[in-house]
Amino acid sequence: MTDTVLPVEHHAAGRSLGQDAWIRLRRNRAAVASAIVLLLLALAGIVGPWLTPHSYDRIYPQYVRAPASLEAYPKEEAILPAFESALTRARVQIGEVEVSGSTVRAPVSDGEALDPRIVRYIDRSDLFSNARLEDADGNPLAEGASEGVMVADVQRLRFLFGTDANGRDLLSRILIGIRISLAIGVLASAMALLLGVTYGAIAGYLGGRVDNLMMRVVDILYSLPFIFFVILLVVFFGRSFVLIFIAIGCTEWLDMARIVRGQTLTIKRQEYVQAAEALGVSDAGIVRRHIIPNALGPVVVFVTLLVPKAILLESLLSFLGLGVQEPLTSLGLLIAEGASNMRGAAWLLIYPAVTLTAILFALNFLGDGLRDALDPKDR
Amino acid sequence: MDKQSILEVRGLNVEFETNDGVVHAVKGIDLDVKPGEAVAIVGESGSGKSQTTMAMMGLLASNGRARGSARYRGQELIGLSERKLNRVRGEKITMIFQEPMTSLDPLYRIGRQIAEPLIHHRGMSAKAARARVIELLDLVGIPNPERRVDSYPHEMSGGQRQRVMIAMALANDPDVLIADEPTTALDVTIQAQILALLAELQQKLGMAIVFITHDLGIVRRFADRVYVMRSGEVVEEGATETLFGAPKHPYTKMLLAAEPTGRKAAPPAEAQVLLEGRDVEVVFAAGGGWFSRSAGEVRAVDHISVALRQGQTIGIVGESGSGKSTLGRALLRLLPSEGTVRFVGQDISDADKRAMRPLRKELQLVFQDPFGSLSPRMTVGQVVTEGLKVHEPSLPARERDRRAVEALKEVGLDPAMRNRYPHEFSGGQRQRIAIARAMILKPKVVVLDEPTSALDRSVQKQIVDLLRDLQKAHDLSYLFISHDLAVVRAMADHIIVMRQGKIVEEGPTEAIFDNPQEPYTQALMAAAIDGTPFREGVVEA
Amino acid sequence: MFAYVLRRFAGAVPTLFIIVTIAFFMIRLAPGGPFDLERPLDPLIMANLERAFNFDKPLWQQYLIYLGNLAQGDLGPSFTRRDFTVMDLFRTGLPVSIQIGGMALSIALVVGVFLGALAALRQNTWVDYMVVGTATFGITIPTFVIAPLLSLFFGVMMGWLPAGGWGTWQHMVLPIATLALPQIAIIARLTRGATIEALRSNHVRTARAYGLPNYVVVGVHALRAAILPVVSYLGPTAAALLTGSVVVETIFGIPGIGRYFVQGALGRDYTLVMGTVVVIACFVIVFNLIVDILYAWLDPRVRYD
Repeated sequence: MTDTVLPVEHHAAGRSLGQDAWIRLRRNRAAVASAIVLLLLALAGIVGPWLTPHSYDRIYPQYVRAPASLEAYPKEEAILPAFESALTRARVQIGEVEVSGSTVRAPVSDGEALDPRIVRYIDRSDLFSNARLEDADGNPLAEGASEGVMVADVQRLRFLFGTDANGRDLLSRILIGIRISLAIGVLASAMALLLGVTYGAIAGYLGGRVDNLMMRVVDILYSLPFIFFVILLVVFFGRSFVLIFIAIGCTEWLDMARIVRGQTLTIKRQEYVQAAEALGVSDAGIVRRHIIPNALGPVVVFVTLLVPKAILLESLLSFLGLGVQEPLTSLGLLIAEGASNMRGAAWLLIYPAVTLTAILFALNFLGDGLRDALDPKDR
Repeated sequence: MDKQSILEVRGLNVEFETNDGVVHAVKGIDLDVKPGEAVAIVGESGSGKSQTTMAMMGLLASNGRARGSARYRGQELIGLSERKLNRVRGEKITMIFQEPMTSLDPLYRIGRQIAEPLIHHRGMSAKAARARVIELLDLVGIPNPERRVDSYPHEMSGGQRQRVMIAMALANDPDVLIADEPTTALDVTIQAQILALLAELQQKLGMAIVFITHDLGIVRRFADRVYVMRSGEVVEEGATETLFGAPKHPYTKMLLAAEPTGRKAAPPAEAQVLLEGRDVEVVFAAGGGWFSRSAGEVRAVDHISVALRQGQTIGIVGESGSGKSTLGRALLRLLPSEGTVRFVGQDISDADKRAMRPLRKELQLVFQDPFGSLSPRMTVGQVVTEGLKVHEPSLPARERDRRAVEALKEVGLDPAMRNRYPHEFSGGQRQRIAIARAMILKPKVVVLDEPTSALDRSVQKQIVDLLRDLQKAHDLSYLFISHDLAVVRAMADHIIVMRQGKIVEEGPTEAIFDNPQEPYTQALMAAAIDGTPFREGVVEA
Repeated sequence: MFAYVLRRFAGAVPTLFIIVTIAFFMIRLAPGGPFDLERPLDPLIMANLERAFNFDKPLWQQYLIYLGNLAQGDLGPSFTRRDFTVMDLFRTGLPVSIQIGGMALSIALVVGVFLGALAALRQNTWVDYMVVGTATFGITIPTFVIAPLLSLFFGVMMGWLPAGGWGTWQHMVLPIATLALPQIAIIARLTRGATIEALRSNHVRTARAYGLPNYVVVGVHALRAAILPVVSYLGPTAAALLTGSVVVETIFGIPGIGRYFVQGALGRDYTLVMGTVVVIACFVIVFNLIVDILYAWLDPRVRYD
């Protein structure tokens, strides 16, 4: 196997390992597709909540657990009864309700003069807006009249993913969930990166007893079950967005520290580092010019695998009710709600589950692609 | 040629499907092996010599394809079903490999592994097989075979493992034994023992041996007939004496001439002593952790004194673990050591990193592995000029670049390549880059730590020539560390033979080579120098 | 070997001690207490309760008392489930968790190793792609997504199995499947990678070069090497599976011990939290030891020291 001939390519300028890896990555279709999916999902999480017509915390009492549908709500057959029941609440006599296009009208009368404030009963409903009293000719009703026509615009609302058990738009909530999940994933990974790289590089570079002691600490922390640690942190400090990513970052840096330490130890033994020592390069110069650039590859790969792990942990915490608090939401929380509502409202489980799975898949494929691209065994 | 060939290869092609396209490793070669004959296939790395036999044995990597014909006693092996092939390999044709450390399964006792071919090909009972295994271990010179049969591979030395492999190869009395660089990974004295063993066994048992090697010395002493391969083709073949006496193909001529030649004259006696170590001692703690004190210590360098004069080359010779590299590093103050080290009279025994920094410019180091000694993330230009940034920080970038161009030219590289990365260069080119990195600082002393050991013979010669030219041009002093006596003889004027951290013998090159005093030195010389016949019945040292 | 086991257990004591100490002070320093109910208790009752459970003593004294009790195997009473000691809770819950976890572990091991080895032997064929694809799926989808989806499909939509609850063997199918699926995926991937590497190793090349039949080359030489990383992986995994999963137990409503920790931490049931920590840590220690012994038995290069 040592005996194969590899054609040596000749480039004018030379291609660094980084450029080689980039070219390999671009050739990996799964990784490229994953990167695109991730970009789209990130974009959806960032700008999506502003583009949807519903706020993620707006409650529509009339649309509790409305199934997902491409058509707008209300459905035709739902308009009439809803209008009637709203008017009944206004305690006026109602004539025949007539639906034409996007307006509803019904003659109303009362023993005494019609109180113009009764339009509120209509407006309060999620189905109608711009309710007004008119006379027979369509002009605003004169004050004191006891008969008129109640006119209201039908408010067409779209719930593409349906609504949840509280009557909130699931799509808006999923978009917010994506935002929160990705944000926690990235922030927690950044935190783990910072802690792990610093700790691991110090342990690896100093070596000897310091390294031994530092790694013993990591081993002990390792034997603490993660969930235990996070739960205690959450219990201790209360639940908040910041705390969650700190808690996850605090538990995930251990692997990073081990990887960076291992890398540092390996690189420190490399002959090119010894060569630099023989050239009289200072410690800082060796760390900057040799150790960091060469340790970067595995660290980058590990970070891409760390992000889905952090997202998963956040979702798990939220699922257990230890994550972000209502009305804010995250994908894990949405899945937990979906699980408790799955009888009769399966979409509440399925859409968030699919979204989370898509994110995790894309991140994993991208991580695998990066690893293949950077793997020195390939060379 | 009176006898019928038992192995007959015709138009054999081997191709590998790689990410960079199809690599044609073997390009339609013909080979013949006759019964009882010792045939050598010689070539440098990448010549396709190993893949030829791998293809015959059905052992190509999964991306490899073989075309053409290879017949064993008339039976076609290429494309043969695995079941039928298994009746040939391990039974009629057996093989030993280059890597004695990994070729045996670490999880099973050696007795069981040697017995497996016996049980599967001959249907022997486990008990009968064990008896035969003990017999075989005795045959290949493993002491205490009744006890060693139950050893695991990791409990044996590299040489012993190779003996175990040979025992396994002989188990079924094969017609052909293929030895794929069987001694390359071993120390010279062990190499000699293994080769002597093979020669003796061939005489005793009469099988044919196909010897794959890059080492012409082995070929000359071992083979009846030689095939010379280059880039997948056989460029020349013939009886050993004819081929060595009158090579026809230019490549063969070049290979034969690649043996480093020439001698170096000693510097004048009044030459200044530049680097001097007195009673240098390096001790490594072995084992030991945070809580336990170190379990023991290894005295890697044990009270050694060296004095290197201006213009001198001291060759430090020894096998792996002899402490020769450690000594080189200790003299450069890259390792903590006891004893006195002086540079141009100045005592640097206790100099710390900061104090050593200005001296680093004068004391340089070149490593063995040209793939490990260059940072893969820096361009050649950056690699070569790294030292300048430390020692002449005020140098403008343009001037630095000019110096890099000059240094690369001096080591025979095209300076236009300085924007490329090390992985785009061959081993020899990379070693030139490493030399340029040392030379750009205009040092006085260079420690050369096996600078040619990872290179092919023909490249070795070029590097040796380059180092000699540089020495002449700049009046350099070398500390040349190597296990390769042929190269040392061509480079050094004074030799120190080391073993287990101690000096065994030292003296002028001629004296050491022509008239070694110590038995160990004599064994080394016998093992390494061409023309010495193998002694019969060598026992494990 | 016996001395080795003893030495390992002795070595585990400090680890256990550190874990218990960290857990004790973290949970005790957290705001709130086990008797903080919606309606505040009468101060007198509160004082009595605190005296009964030694809460009036300084924390370090309580810590020593706890350690003393622990050394005698007394985990104390549960604060949230009155009438039960923590030991009672584990006595009823642990067998349930071990039953489910043990089944899941066995299935995962058998199926995972089989699929992984199969994929490696048929590398780059559709079998391999199927296994790798399914494994990626199994690794990526978290338990808390698989569990409700299984429950929804087989329990609610198809009605083949109970969607939750505990009692008959039917109740165990979905929880075991949920726990086993990701482990099958991980073990299959691990086995596949290790087998491929083993098949490429020099000693397997030797076995082929000596004409040994394929079942010997693969079964004797490749698979034994390939099983080693699986064995290492099994230690912490077995401990985690046998001590119950909070997700699976919550979704399927199983009376195991997986939920105790979360519930205990939220309800400031100090003794329950501590008990869980101790039990989990013991499982981890024991299984790591078992794995190390197994590993040394499989790989002669590793020795007991």
